[in-house]
Amino acid sequence: MNAPQNRRKFLRTAGTLLALPALESAGFRRFVRAAEPGLPPKRVVFLGIGYGVTQETWFASLQEPGVSYTLPDGLRPLERHRHSFSIVQGVCNKLSAEAHWGSTYWLTGANRYGDGSGGMHNSISADQVAASVLGRDTRFASLQLNGSDPDLSGPGHGTGLSLAWDVRGKPMAGVNSPVALFHKLFSADSLPLEQRQAALREKRSILDAVGEEVSDLKRGLNRRDHEKLDEYFQGIREIELRMGREEKWLDVPKPAAPLREPGAGLMGVEEVKLMYDLLVAAFQTDSTRVATYRQPISNLLKSLSIKVAPHDMSHYSIGERMDASQKRDRVQSELLAGFLDRLEAEKDAAGRSLLDNTVVVFGSNLRTVHTLENCPTLVAGRGAGLKLGHNLVVSRNTPLCNVWLTLLRGLGLDLERHGDSSGVLKELIA
Amino acid sequence: MEKQDSKLKHQAVFRCREGVFAARRPRAFVSFGSGLALLLCGWLSEPTLAESVAKNGRQPGAPMAETQRGFLGEHCERCHGREKQKGSFRVDDLNLAIGDAQTAERWQKVLNAVNSGEMPPEDEKQPGRDAKLEFLEELQESMVVARRMLADQGGASIARRLNRREYRNTVQALLGVSLDVNELPADGGLGSFDTNALSLLMSGDQFEQYHALALDALNEVHARRSAPEKRYYSRVEGESRLEVVRKSLQERLDQRRRYMRWVHAVDEAGRRPENQPILQELRAKKHPEEPYRSWEKIQGAPPPSEYGFVDFTRARHEGEGHWALVPFLSYYVSQPDSQRGAFLTPGDNAACNSVDLGVGGWPAGQYIVRVRVGAVEGSPARRRFLEFGRRILGRYTVTSSHEVTGTLKEPQVLEIPVDLRGNEERHFYVAERGCLDDDTQGNRKYFAGVRDNGVGPDLVLWVDWLEMESVPAAGALVGSELERAGIPIAALGNQELPAAELRAGLERFSELAFRGSKPSTAFVERLLKMYEGHRAGGKKPGEALRQIFAVVLASPRFLYLSEPAPEKGRRKLSGTELASRLSYFLWGAPPDEELRGLGASEELAKPEVLAAQAARLLAEGRRRDFVVPFTHQWLGMDRLNFFQFNGDKYPDFDLCVKNAARQEVYETVGQLLEENGSLQELLKSSHVTVNALMADYYGLPGVTGDNFRKVPVPPDSARGGLLGMAAVLAMGSNGEHTSPVDRGAWVLRKLVHAPTPPAPPNVPQLARLEGKLLTTRERLVSHQEEPQCANCHRKIDPIGFGLENFDAAGRWRTEDRYEYPGKGEKKWVIDPAGAFHNGPAFKDYHELRDLIAARQDDFARGFAEAFCEYALGRPYGFSDEPLVDAILERARPAGYPVREFVLGLVQSETFRTK
Repeated sequence: MNAPQNRRKFLRTAGTLLALPALESAGFRRFVRAAEPGLPPKRVVFLGIGYGVTQETWFASLQEPGVSYTLPDGLRPLERHRHSFSIVQGVCNKLSAEAHWGSTYWLTGANRYGDGSGGMHNSISADQVAASVLGRDTRFASLQLNGSDPDLSGPGHGTGLSLAWDVRGKPMAGVNSPVALFHKLFSADSLPLEQRQAALREKRSILDAVGEEVSDLKRGLNRRDHEKLDEYFQGIREIELRMGREEKWLDVPKPAAPLREPGAGLMGVEEVKLMYDLLVAAFQTDSTRVATYRQPISNLLKSLSIKVAPHDMSHYSIGERMDASQKRDRVQSELLAGFLDRLEAEKDAAGRSLLDNTVVVFGSNLRTVHTLENCPTLVAGRGAGLKLGHNLVVSRNTPLCNVWLTLLRGLGLDLERHGDSSGVLKELIA
Repeated sequence: MEKQDSKLKHQAVFRCREGVFAARRPRAFVSFGSGLALLLCGWLSEPTLAESVAKNGRQPGAPMAETQRGFLGEHCERCHGREKQKGSFRVDDLNLAIGDAQTAERWQKVLNAVNSGEMPPEDEKQPGRDAKLEFLEELQESMVVARRMLADQGGASIARRLNRREYRNTVQALLGVSLDVNELPADGGLGSFDTNALSLLMSGDQFEQYHALALDALNEVHARRSAPEKRYYSRVEGESRLEVVRKSLQERLDQRRRYMRWVHAVDEAGRRPENQPILQELRAKKHPEEPYRSWEKIQGAPPPSEYGFVDFTRARHEGEGHWALVPFLSYYVSQPDSQRGAFLTPGDNAACNSVDLGVGGWPAGQYIVRVRVGAVEGSPARRRFLEFGRRILGRYTVTSSHEVTGTLKEPQVLEIPVDLRGNEERHFYVAERGCLDDDTQGNRKYFAGVRDNGVGPDLVLWVDWLEMESVPAAGALVGSELERAGIPIAALGNQELPAAELRAGLERFSELAFRGSKPSTAFVERLLKMYEGHRAGGKKPGEALRQIFAVVLASPRFLYLSEPAPEKGRRKLSGTELASRLSYFLWGAPPDEELRGLGASEELAKPEVLAAQAARLLAEGRRRDFVVPFTHQWLGMDRLNFFQFNGDKYPDFDLCVKNAARQEVYETVGQLLEENGSLQELLKSSHVTVNALMADYYGLPGVTGDNFRKVPVPPDSARGGLLGMAAVLAMGSNGEHTSPVDRGAWVLRKLVHAPTPPAPPNVPQLARLEGKLLTTRERLVSHQEEPQCANCHRKIDPIGFGLENFDAAGRWRTEDRYEYPGKGEKKWVIDPAGAFHNGPAFKDYHELRDLIAARQDDFARGFAEAFCEYALGRPYGFSDEPLVDAILERARPAGYPVREFVLGLVQSETFRTK
């Protein structure tokens, strides 16, 4: 292995492009339209809801494809935005057979057993592919948000630390509360620049020290243990990369917060609203252009005084459980409608509506109960040239990754495939 | 009022340590003798893999039945065969033996397609129900075996990160500081134990969290050791509540007075002749309050604001709603004992539903909470339990419950130890049990009282005072391990160490933190340079030292359990490594001084020494850090947290009982280890391990106090063994109804070692019976209709039906009912009779339990597998079968005493080698 000094130098020059070798193998070429000067910045946000939806009342009829479909009950709160979004029906992650994991493979399309090691396998998520390009010029390459549910892997989401998986297929951590996100985005660092520079240097020397130690430790280990300790090593490398970016932004003050600091301890509906507001603020201030949000379920139900437990709700039958499931659908759609209102209303630096250059994705890997086929997929926003206002019915079991590929390309990434994609979804292109 | 000084007289002092498995070392050593004799003859020998695999069921890689080929030929090959390969998929060349990942993937595709009904396509000939059922069953079982085989780690132990609780315990052992680790991401999530190396990942964020936590801990050591220990003390007197209640009562009386005056004034105006038409109109609306709501229409009626109310709504709320509580508040105020203490009252009624103590700003450390409490004589036993807990973000969260045996004349003092950590909220409370679980529990009890006597519930619990105090000299224990290792605590402060001592101190600290392995020279050099940097940057010596120590505690040799190993072949663990493995297994913590010593001197390599040390570790209270996490994960008890129980249906299953029910399971396993009892006791037993609260819940008389102990049950009792435990039964419910499916699947998975495959995706939902008034059995009969469902549910459901005599909260019942809003309800007498699939029949729960109890060999195997998985930190694989066989061989003759499993494992070749 290289000595830390050399490694660091390499990392500094390479910046985020370090991810490239692996991306290249996924069909990624180094041509980036989105980064060309003069073009407005593109943005994308993925909203994952874990457990699926009420299939009887959320999906539009398969018999009514096209623009003049009846908006089903579960989506009715989105009526005023009906020309700003499409629902895609017929897609799924074919390699996923985990009937309780609505988020783990949602954006990756990976096969749990894919690497043959018996461990859990995953691959890079669509947001991180987007971030490798769209995230170059912002303070945060991407933001990962999580709901406040005590058990993150619980309510239908499945294992993972957020919706995002890095280029190695390892889980990426997220921010769990609106307060923490607010501080991350807007809290000014009160220390003078010199001290912050010193702190960065200090951090570097810590990383060098433990990097030294992990290399020394690895020398005596066998291959398998080597791989385990490599996770630690990669963790350190991740910080080094992040620091490279931090350094670049060190003398740029954080933007003024366009909203007040949220109160602590808000849960459920209020929490989602706040996270949406903060996402709008993050886009407005161009703090990031890529975000994911693994939404709360348990706390959402609690805040709605729904007594049915999330897992029971997902296994609904007519009666209290189905009522709960439908109410949840409506509330999630209302919240989403509010989010779209804000994106539509707020302007970016050039005075365009944020929604003009943003794509919002809403959905889950799970359709309902244990069903993975035709998973709920809603795309909104005019940022990627997608066909909006449609009930798009595509052929059964089309890879969900075709949707991701289509919108990633629409965002300006020159990408040949993502996950198990078999091609772009022509029907989705305007 | 009674002051503290009078408390020494006439009062029982109770100590309520959480310490569930209090150490009883001498006894443990004696009872361990029998095991020792066995061990002296040497190490455990294991059969070969081939021998084991040949003996135990389906072999990895063994081909499926030829009939599978027939099914494929008949239903698939026309489109997916040699001639034609629709979707580029063919099945004719599929190997019946699933030996590699590619074959597994192709079969998985077949399985998914048949399960979802996608294949064969609708317009093709469909397989018969039985043929499909057999095909799916054979394939599903083979897939489970194949996945396990493909995941096999060849018996190798992998390096792994400390999980969250081990990390906390390790810092605690090293620094004497108890960290709040809740911010670290939870471990696991792959459905395996939190010791599984594969799921113990690491990210950059985590590294930063470890570093920050370590710095917190070191700063705490410094803060607590540098300042002279300060005594913290706070106390709240129960009678301080009286003034609040009295004021609230006065206010309500005043509001009522003003309200009545306003009502009279409106009535007065209403009597005027000119108001008669409008009054008639208003009265026609039939709401007696209508004239007051519309007072503006009545000429001459004064506005409510003249009487001090904002508007009519507020006037009505304050004059009527607030008035409703007056009888109860008057009752409270009139009690002579309210003058010298506080009665704890159920419900949101402005009396006293809790006595609270906030100690914001107090530093982390050990404290003791005392509460002087008594119960009104002759009050119902069920209400004589006090709950203690914390208020977190405005929510009351119970942490322990306590039986109250003191009276108002002779109250008792309960002592509850409390660890204050980091920035946790510092707000504590006591209340009557189960009154603060949610908004409805207490009010339900209050209104039941109002219905009963027009006033409110009887007063039962009375609190003289609640106090909290720092434990004297607890601070001296902080950092004492460092001192023993020769690192002067003063150096964490401002004492500058000479260069040589600094280096030596850093090396000693690292070696201690690294559990005996040495840091690399380069690491030490870098840290020393960092120290100099800090000093040059103006940091004080102690601060600089804490900074570099924190790096040690975020470095890989501290965070990872790893042993150097050759690329090929195995080697024996060194004594030091073995000591670590043993203590992380049985304590979830690093070895103590004694174990370290025996490891360093290689004494631990002797079988009898290793056995004696295992016995010692298990005899100490710290074994709780093995018993609880293992039992919790083995039995899948996280399910108990999934559901909130319906308080209307199960008023007695409050959070106190829920916690105690969970505790009962741990205590029972702990008790078995304590007395080296047979594993069989978990299937059926003549005893239960309960405390007063659980005994009350089960209706067992004569049990007093909060500690759990063995209590005999009558021979015809449904209790005794896991199946009769409230926690286990409650896990098989959703807090409303029982779930025979979850219960049946749990029995198959955990008790008889016949797990069913995981729920498959995309199975079509059966909606035919939805919304109908049916019995549970009638509703679940739909499971038998589709082969995709029937292939597992024919095994699962009958067992669940056999447990239907227990309701969702684990109480015995003979009838059940189903209510459908708007449609009515259906009642039926429970019929528990059934039969194991292709197995014996049972007519009721007792017979079912006996049949399960007879399968102790299966149970023991499942237990041993889980046990090895937990201890070795990897999913159980086929290469572990010889180990499990050897352990079982050893434990079987004596009837499976539980310690034989521990000894069998720690003495095995597998445990002792890398």
